[in-house]
Amino acid sequence: MSTLVFIPAWNEADAVAAVIADVRERLPDADVLVIDDGSIDETAASAAGAGATVASLPFNQGLGAALQTGYLYALREGYDFCAHLDADGQHPPAEVARLLEHVRADRADLVIGSRYREPGADDGGADGVTGDDYKPTISRRIGTSVFRFFLTLATRQRFTDTTSGMRAANRRVMALFSENYSPDFAEIESLQLAVRQGLRVEEVPVRMLERVGGSSFLTPVRSAFFIFKGMIVLLVGQFRPRRAEPGKSGPLGKAGAER
Amino acid sequence: MTTVALLIAAQDPKVHLTSQTRILAAAIALAFMLMILELIRRDRLQERYSVVWFVAGLGMLAGAAFPGLLAGVADLMGVRDTNVALFSIILLLLLGLALNFSVIMSRQAAQITRLAQERALEKAREQAKSAENGGEPERERL
Repeated sequence: MSTLVFIPAWNEADAVAAVIADVRERLPDADVLVIDDGSIDETAASAAGAGATVASLPFNQGLGAALQTGYLYALREGYDFCAHLDADGQHPPAEVARLLEHVRADRADLVIGSRYREPGADDGGADGVTGDDYKPTISRRIGTSVFRFFLTLATRQRFTDTTSGMRAANRRVMALFSENYSPDFAEIESLQLAVRQGLRVEEVPVRMLERVGGSSFLTPVRSAFFIFKGMIVLLVGQFRPRRAEPGKSGPLGKAGAER
Repeated sequence: MTTVALLIAAQDPKVHLTSQTRILAAAIALAFMLMILELIRRDRLQERYSVVWFVAGLGMLAGAAFPGLLAGVADLMGVRDTNVALFSIILLLLLGLALNFSVIMSRQAAQITRLAQERALEKAREQAKSAENGGEPERERL
């Protein structure tokens, strides 16, 4: 059972090598792919030096397109399972390994690592994760609860961490996401899409850490705009036709169909 | 160019076009269509995006040739002032055109993204293959 772990990275030359090393230690069987989203620093060289395969997008396309590149690679190269995590060191690979166990055991098609969900009795979190726990800012908290409310309303399934970038998936999800994935609203819309397609989506509580370097892109004004955009995306998503077969429609039409 | 035609029309609120203004409007319409043809000829404009502009040119020409047309349309719309009718029709047409461009733009953005992804995947595949063959992982950067 082959597994691909992919890491979208945009100007993360300082952090990405350590993340790759950690992934290779915790998940020795998995191949590691870094999607360099048009970085202008040494991200690609740094990732290749750390032993990852690198897919370099020629210009910055946004997180959604970068993640889709990963799903596309996993699908085309015939991996059975894939997982992705952020390049900034917030996501401990040990937790990614736990997410992968869930999809390998076929408990779900898509597993989301949630930093907000309270751990259950048998779900205590991975050992050996060190660092400061993730503390959300106020604007992040407001956004989170708004999205949580609307996504739960839209999917009739409880989600706590709608924007989590730590996920594990099987081939059904790869086929869906490699064709239908919004470049603007990757995380939230993809959850709605997966649930609407009848895939089993599950949240698993994980520990996330404070980011090592860089700062979040969210300012209050941007947050408000982000929330507004997200609500439109969710609203439109409710009226999108269900796709019988991924790849038959979408913005790319025939051009995007699998070869 | 459209503005010029509008200004000409605006001079007389009752659209009582003199033959002088009608000839001018027709000349502008013809010049406009010739310009479209020239742009196509020089490969600066693709045929599929030129149709709408031709239709606009023909509309201008028709308006100049049959001044009763505009008055009739204004009547149909229930607008007393033909100028208002003219302005609102043109405004709606431009709005539709702008939206059409946004749709085209979105489609092309999706295609560009997929193109970039395909290229990135090919590079990654090459690198993975050369690493498998025992070679040094490629460190080529963009």
